[in-house]
Amino acid sequence: MKAYLTRHMQVFMRTLGDFARSPTATLMTVVMIGVTLVLPAGLYIGLLNLERLTLGWHPRGSVSVYLAKTMPQAAAVAAIRQVPGVAGTRYISPAQGLNEFAASSGLGAAAAVFRHHNPLPGVVVVTPAGVTPASVAHLAARLKALPGITHVQSNLVWVERLDAALALGHRIVVILATALGLALVLIMGNTTRVAVASRRDEIGVVGLVGGTNAFIRRPFLYAGALTGGLGALCALVLLEAAVLALNGPIASLDRAYGAHYHLSGPDLHQALGLLALGALLGWLGARIAVGQALRSRRI
Amino acid sequence: MIELKHVFKRYPLGTEALSDVGFSMARGEMAFLTGPSGAGKSTILKLICLLERPTRGQVVVNGHDLARLSPRRLPHFRREIGVVFQDNRLLNERTIYDNVALPLLVAGMTGDEVRKRVLAALDKVGLRGRERGFPLALSGGEQQRVGIARAIVHRPALLIADEPTGNLDPALSDTIIDLFREFNDHGVTVLIATHDLRQIERSRARVIHIGEGHMVGAA
Repeated sequence: MKAYLTRHMQVFMRTLGDFARSPTATLMTVVMIGVTLVLPAGLYIGLLNLERLTLGWHPRGSVSVYLAKTMPQAAAVAAIRQVPGVAGTRYISPAQGLNEFAASSGLGAAAAVFRHHNPLPGVVVVTPAGVTPASVAHLAARLKALPGITHVQSNLVWVERLDAALALGHRIVVILATALGLALVLIMGNTTRVAVASRRDEIGVVGLVGGTNAFIRRPFLYAGALTGGLGALCALVLLEAAVLALNGPIASLDRAYGAHYHLSGPDLHQALGLLALGALLGWLGARIAVGQALRSRRI
Repeated sequence: MIELKHVFKRYPLGTEALSDVGFSMARGEMAFLTGPSGAGKSTILKLICLLERPTRGQVVVNGHDLARLSPRRLPHFRREIGVVFQDNRLLNERTIYDNVALPLLVAGMTGDEVRKRVLAALDKVGLRGRERGFPLALSGGEQQRVGIARAIVHRPALLIADEPTGNLDPALSDTIIDLFREFNDHGVTVLIATHDLRQIERSRARVIHIGEGHMVGAA
């Protein structure tokens, strides 16, 4: 086992040495892979940010229950909590409702007119236990049947539309990622093909002294995986730079709207996933190219 | 150790390189394979190393019937033989140490044992102390000796050389052939393809004559 690890470490170090001997060519390939990966990765991160933003606007699948003016708050909330499928409730009094409207609409002075004759009803915002469209619709129907309820409104339609838009976005990311992943495999395959051609004599000698195909393949596979991994690292750097560049204008926009939002870059798991994907695709491209070259050897 | 029986070799473009060639060599024997240029000496060595396959006939090396050797076993078979080429086939961007260590590394050897064996092989060919240099910094004779060190570092049972003195002056040729004789004295079977009559006359070894793809004689 120790000998096995030592051999792999030797190949790894030799591959790094090869990179250091041709820094320009290595850098160009790494940046090319980075740019290839940054587009689908950026779109994916953008979608996640959009999901996070819209989740803040409207709790997913919540149901607003409007109470009759005559309905006491405590009795209404107690009755609603008894309904199966209710995971939580939050009561918004008419006064709170008016304040929120005044703040979000920018019509504070006009809203003040209604201070003593508030037309808004009390609202109980219900969080459903299930978030499927069917379960939320079923719960809305049950709540509507309670006494003292004037109106029940779920944000289901809005959620469905948002989900459809996000699903479309995710599908576009998958298609783009597949196409650009294929491009990465081809880039790495072509780079490896050139490397194999330039080291044909060495491969011949290694075969002659008893090197197995696995031994011949190994440095090319390390080069492929490392180049792919470094390309993914480059993509991460580009993504973080884009997030930093966009967060300034977003902060200005936030101040104008009185909101608090900032773009997030990839988290640790996403970053590690991208690195692993880059390394895997680089390895795959190298594996295909070197495998083809070895199969074309006569004996 | 080596046995060729009714071997024929025709290359794809139709050139008949060998026609009904057969000879055998016992373990521990040393022999010169000789004949004019184009006689088929190199083809015989390629068949023995399994760089080529015969069109017809049987080649048995070190107990392996090469026609039945699977591609999976081929690398292991090649580790049992050492090959020296006229053009050395050294890797010029690698150090002399790395060149000589190659057969040990492909066999999965690591650590001190590699170092010990490489230095011993370089010592044997008189190049100890030059291991950090690169092949292109060496003379033709020295490069040939690096090639020999690489061929013997894994202690093969069979050593094959294709015109190892082809580019060398007589004095250096003597040194190289003496090295092969020394390995043979230690039990290694040695087959050298050459048309250097001076070396053949100087040697007490057996001579196998090939002429235009046919066996001419064996002494």
